[in-house]
Amino acid sequence: MQLTLEFGGGLELLCDSKKIHNVNVEQQNGEDKLTMKGLLSWVKTNLIKERPEMFMKGDTVRPGVLVLVNDCDWELSGQLSTLLEEKDVVVFISTLHGG
Amino acid sequence: MACNGAGGCQSGCYKDEEPTSDQPTASSETDSRSSSNLCIKCKLNDAISGYGGIDDGRFCADCFKSNLFGKFRFAVTSNAMISPTDKVLVAFSGGPSSRVALQFVHDMQERAHKNFEASRDRSLPVFGVGVVFIDETAVLPIPSHEMEEAVEVINLIVSSLSPPRKELHLVPIETVYSSDSTDGKERLIELMNAVSDPTGREDMLLCLRMLALQKVASEFGYNRIVLGSCISRIAAHVVSATVKGQGYSLPADIQYVDARWEIPVVLPLRDCFAQEINMFCWLDSLKTIKLSTGPSSSINSLVSSFVALLQEENPSRESTIVRTAGKLIPFHFNRIPEIVDGNVPLATRRRQKRYNLKSNESVSSESFCLLCNSPLDKSEIVDWSNHKNCKNSDTFYTSCCSSCQFQILPPDSTSMEKFYMHLPHSVVSRANQANNGNLKALREQIQDCLLSDGEEET
Amino acid sequence: MEGKRSKVRMCCLCNQSRASLNRPKTLQQICRDCFYLSFENEIHQLIIDNHLFTPGDRVAIGASGGKDSTVLAYVLSKLNRVHNYGLNLFLLSVDEGITGYRDDSLETVHRNQVQFGLPLKVVSYKDLYGWTMDEIVKLIGLKNNCTFCGVFRRQALDRGAAFLKADKLVTGHNADDIAETVLLNILRGDIARLSRCSSIITGEDGPIPRCKPFKYTYEKEIVMYAYFKRLDYFSTECIYSPNAYRGFAREFIKDLERIRPRAILDIIKSGENFRISTNTKMPEQGTCERCGYISSQKWCKACVLLDGLNRGLPKLGIGRSRPGIGCKEENESRGVKSIESKQCGSLDF
Repeated sequence: MQLTLEFGGGLELLCDSKKIHNVNVEQQNGEDKLTMKGLLSWVKTNLIKERPEMFMKGDTVRPGVLVLVNDCDWELSGQLSTLLEEKDVVVFISTLHGG
Repeated sequence: MACNGAGGCQSGCYKDEEPTSDQPTASSETDSRSSSNLCIKCKLNDAISGYGGIDDGRFCADCFKSNLFGKFRFAVTSNAMISPTDKVLVAFSGGPSSRVALQFVHDMQERAHKNFEASRDRSLPVFGVGVVFIDETAVLPIPSHEMEEAVEVINLIVSSLSPPRKELHLVPIETVYSSDSTDGKERLIELMNAVSDPTGREDMLLCLRMLALQKVASEFGYNRIVLGSCISRIAAHVVSATVKGQGYSLPADIQYVDARWEIPVVLPLRDCFAQEINMFCWLDSLKTIKLSTGPSSSINSLVSSFVALLQEENPSRESTIVRTAGKLIPFHFNRIPEIVDGNVPLATRRRQKRYNLKSNESVSSESFCLLCNSPLDKSEIVDWSNHKNCKNSDTFYTSCCSSCQFQILPPDSTSMEKFYMHLPHSVVSRANQANNGNLKALREQIQDCLLSDGEEET
Repeated sequence: MEGKRSKVRMCCLCNQSRASLNRPKTLQQICRDCFYLSFENEIHQLIIDNHLFTPGDRVAIGASGGKDSTVLAYVLSKLNRVHNYGLNLFLLSVDEGITGYRDDSLETVHRNQVQFGLPLKVVSYKDLYGWTMDEIVKLIGLKNNCTFCGVFRRQALDRGAAFLKADKLVTGHNADDIAETVLLNILRGDIARLSRCSSIITGEDGPIPRCKPFKYTYEKEIVMYAYFKRLDYFSTECIYSPNAYRGFAREFIKDLERIRPRAILDIIKSGENFRISTNTKMPEQGTCERCGYISSQKWCKACVLLDGLNRGLPKLGIGRSRPGIGCKEENESRGVKSIESKQCGSLDF
């Protein structure tokens, strides 16, 4: 599945300082549906190059990290159980920075 | 000239401050060799260590134990918690804190008893001690075999703390309903099920627990309730009350004495750390009980882990938290009311005066949440003139604090009505008292303008 | 969930557009436009209810280029226009002289100046104190450098504001910051700060009063606002701060927010309702003999630190020489977690 992933608020530092990633996510376990939960573990394995604890806590994102799926708060679409579709844009923003 | 950084420097020094004055300083002895430290008190035996807390590694086993008992005794005497004519009820959960509280109360009573036996005129009576254990299996998922074992252990413990003999009261939590109806257990379960917030459920249970304690104390003639709450527990309460928006009422729950109840509640272990208490139990092989109450996803448990984590990083954290909260103004009910009873020995009354305890002023200057009994802050106090024709349940709702309204009480009027019906009578009757109190206060205000019957207007 | 994604939810306020976010404060599911309106109106109401400004006020906006100050500058200038506050707004930035970090964030502020049409003034540590942070770190290393920076920054904002004849200073401290500060002050035993930290205006008896219009604004909402409006902000950790830590207290607040979002506001409410015993000894306010800044000691902290630097005794004014105290700094330079999230003291207001 082709997806565009964006990292902001400092999270880009965890993935080689690259903010935007165009990725192709392979489904695991032969499932044909990709949920946010699946995507998160894929991201953790494939994109996060350092300090994974700044991005995830347990099987969800660390408290303080906002997640938007197609510019919509993932809390509205079920958080981890949000279903992803081809060409979706997922944005991760860390709120934990000084301002 | 260097800023000593005691937190007041306006120029922005922010350093992580521990006020220097009342902080125990590491003595030179402990600085030198960390392996074999001599007890700083008796200087004879090796100090014990590894249990945490600010005194870790300073005392030998005996001095440690006497130091801990000393803290207990100081709290009791300086707050006039227990007088010779008192009948004291110790709330026993089986956990280490209440076990130590029970032990120390017994030790004190035993000593008084020996003195009584030894004295010629036997003028000073010995205070009475009872023990209460609340069985909460009706609302908590405690396996029945665990409870049976626990009861056996408790019976053994209480009977071993004799002489002087202590009565043991084993009461189920549904006892709060026993004077209202026979289906107390069902009503209790219905009540608890109506609370969906996990933190709300835990706090509701705490309210009911206190109600049960008050009931037992009142029924059996006790005039003091002893809780084993230690610094660690109080530190966690400071943080969790802050987190629930209870900054106004927080000081009420963390003092040595809480006399807002019919039977005043005292906290003699308020200066002791959980770590010390655990060490004491280990040293004296005191049996304790831990009941499996299931996992908790409440704010209370999040806070407990947070505080425990901080305490590990910095052994003086808990005491700093409690000391900070100690600088908040306590309420007038946070002291033992002066005894006007002529039977009380002069020495006791003199002691009260010496520690500057004033007489109990009228309680009506504070309004209290009808459910949890916390003093209400200005924004929570209701203007009764607008609430004449409301349902009793709605009136009850508006007379509760905002924390109870949010986490315990149902949000809509219909569910609230059902909830209200399931409340024990002792809670509901508070509403009537409050109302009557308000009417009385209102009448007093307009007294001068009222014409008495028979008087004519000119 | 089979087939298509779950049904699209409509905004619960206008019911016309698709809901874009779940407001943590109210748990409402609302669309972007309703969000902007609610967000801006709440701040407007706060400003009015608390009489933060008077028409004609010269107001300095503490601008670091980060999310809070960028959104603050944007919203304040918008409200000023829309509601005719009649304020003279300008951006005030502090240049600590940290190569690579501050240069970039200052660039952001310069861009904001253009984007929002607000004049900008930059005050540097070099100008004010004769030292840049780079120079200080060269001298004292990575231990205690945050102490210097925090003290200097606070004064720099005040001095910069005074130099520009500002009547008020506004900072972007948000609800999460204030909640964290209330907790920290309880944890650290700082009763003096505890009594002040939840006030919306502080320092009224000092050189320049400071206000926090974002006092009840959730950090999450600030980020959402900035994201949806595509506002330009800078977000990298200061290069001198230890890596990979987030204070215990902030972590706790985030965990708390997850269980009960309103807890953040409840902490602030508690802070407002604390009544400090009058028996408690509070430090007296005086002025520094050397520079005239407010201080409860003979010399203000900045002067003490500067004196140390200039005399080649950089330890002067750092902590106390007691065992155990130095450990905190040790831990920080090794990257071990501390209790607060911002070592630089920017949570001190």
